Amino acid sequence: MNTTQTFLPLALAALLVCGCGRQEGDGRGAGDDGRPVVGVSLLNLSSEFIVMIDRAMRERAEELGVRLIVNDAQRNAERQIQQAESFIAQKVDAIVLNPCEVEASSPAVERAVAAGIPIVNVNSETKAVPTAFVGSRDEESGRLAMEYIAQRLGGAGGIVMMQGYMGQAAQIRREAGAREVLAKFPKLNLLAEQTAEWDRAKAMTLMENWLQSHGEKIQAVFAQNDEMAMGALLAIERANLQDKIIVVGVDAIADALQAVQAGRLDATVFQDASGQGRTAIETAVSILRGEPYEKEVFIPFQLITRDNVDEFME
Amino acid sequence: MPCPPEAPGGRRLPPLRSVGPLLQRFGIVIGLGAICTVLAVMTPNFATPANLINVARQISINGILAVGVTYVLLTGGVDLSLGSVVALTGVVAATFAHPGDYPVVVPILLGILAGAACGAANGVVVTWGKVAPFIATLGMMTIARGLALLVSGGRPVSNMSPQMTRLGGELAGIPIPVLILGAVAAGSWLFLTNTRLGRYIYAVGGNENAARAAGISVHRVKMFAYTVCGALAGLAGIVLAARITTGQPNAGVAYELDAIAAVVIGGTSLSGGVGGVGGTLLGALLMGVINNGLDLLNVSSYYQQIVKGCIIVGAVWLDRRNKL
Repeated sequence: MNTTQTFLPLALAALLVCGCGRQEGDGRGAGDDGRPVVGVSLLNLSSEFIVMIDRAMRERAEELGVRLIVNDAQRNAERQIQQAESFIAQKVDAIVLNPCEVEASSPAVERAVAAGIPIVNVNSETKAVPTAFVGSRDEESGRLAMEYIAQRLGGAGGIVMMQGYMGQAAQIRREAGAREVLAKFPKLNLLAEQTAEWDRAKAMTLMENWLQSHGEKIQAVFAQNDEMAMGALLAIERANLQDKIIVVGVDAIADALQAVQAGRLDATVFQDASGQGRTAIETAVSILRGEPYEKEVFIPFQLITRDNVDEFME
Repeated sequence: MPCPPEAPGGRRLPPLRSVGPLLQRFGIVIGLGAICTVLAVMTPNFATPANLINVARQISINGILAVGVTYVLLTGGVDLSLGSVVALTGVVAATFAHPGDYPVVVPILLGILAGAACGAANGVVVTWGKVAPFIATLGMMTIARGLALLVSGGRPVSNMSPQMTRLGGELAGIPIPVLILGAVAAGSWLFLTNTRLGRYIYAVGGNENAARAAGISVHRVKMFAYTVCGALAGLAGIVLAARITTGQPNAGVAYELDAIAAVVIGGTSLSGGVGGVGGTLLGALLMGVINNGLDLLNVSSYYQQIVKGCIIVGAVWLDRRNKL
């Protein structure tokens, strides 16, 4: 038997042990130091917004003397259900779920409820009813953004809308909010709408194409997130039309805030990731301590323009 | 049309290009022409100089990736890690491209080096490790994505110097990404058709055993192909970062599929040995034109995906029928 054949499995095994060892440190069974344990399953730790929720939760848990086991579902609802099941098997005191999908993540909630473990949904909803919900009404963000555009244009003008990933809750709701406003202003003309899949590079391409097909008729862009707003903005700046087109996004990511401060981006809408994360942990702790809690907490959105951007910069 | 392996040491090799490949590309040329004609009739904004420059700019990143993966596909391999390598190299370059930190060559070189390193790692695993390219590069896809997230801390790396973002701008009215694609494509075309190593790439893809029997170091040829592919993915990552003015750890998802589609539409065989850079450029152009045209026509997002899929399959089908 040659050496690589023996060595390779050994090396792989060692790698596996190291990998598992790291997780172990975070997630041993409940209560071995008397502190309550909360299991957290997050949608996707490679998204900046979710990373912010994660940080806020860790800070608040530290302050409240709660131990967190944080798992990343990597956008996979099936994995999220498995994570909830293993939390139940570990007999955690409470679960905080940041659902991947409305329907597909529901079994995670149902199983926790059936096992008598309190479960708090954060940021987005599931069809199954959890013990409590903490999040924001996404319609509100679309409404705030479109109202700002309507006001800037005096209620009349040509608009294009960049949609998020089609069929996702955030896309559907932000769009519903925007359309509420459009219905109120019949002279706001929606020239085109198209998905750029929340992606900056795709948004840039789409905006370049729209500038070709609609040109000077476009007076405002509503992008359903900031990544796309930044992409649209870059295309508009390269075409030297930044003085003629209003660009508004949603989420208040760092890049967008800087752009608002520099007077490049007109507005964004702040969704309070930290507020959601902190409140989710507070709610979970109230529940497991038997204290009164609210079944639904809505953290408000805020419109950010150059006038108030400084309050939101880190 | 697998090309017979050349004896190593044979000095002057006859150039590979002839009328054959041109005829083979006939299918896609017809398809491209037809689609352009339809678009020019249906929308007044398609056949304008501004929009054509626009299309050229939009295909540049996919084009660079597609030229790179042409090398690998010609050897009969595949590279699924391209999209993740684009993200990694973009993040690496952006990290070293803050204003006033380093001269602009540093982030560019580091980005290309990072890409080449990923490619070389793929090459080692495929050749000496004897792991199927599909699996080896699938592993790299995950590893590079993880590295990109690690380097960036999960957040986009912004605040890039103007010298760096200039790469996404224009030179004398022509977008710089297009110039880069032009240079990459021209260089690769010359290399693949006129150098011995270029011919070995075809030989290895055409018949690996025959190539080995003829004394070609198959391992080295494959290593070279994967490394070039990785380095070009690095270049594409840098261009993308410059264009969107940040290094995004989530960028580039599924870019490898668009790149491979462009190569295959362009007539390069997935089993290796047949094809070339010219077809790849046409393939990338076809995909770019479709994307641009559907946006100009304001076709709904749902239909866009269906139409794109049908046109990709249709183009390859037409091409194959023409060859029979």
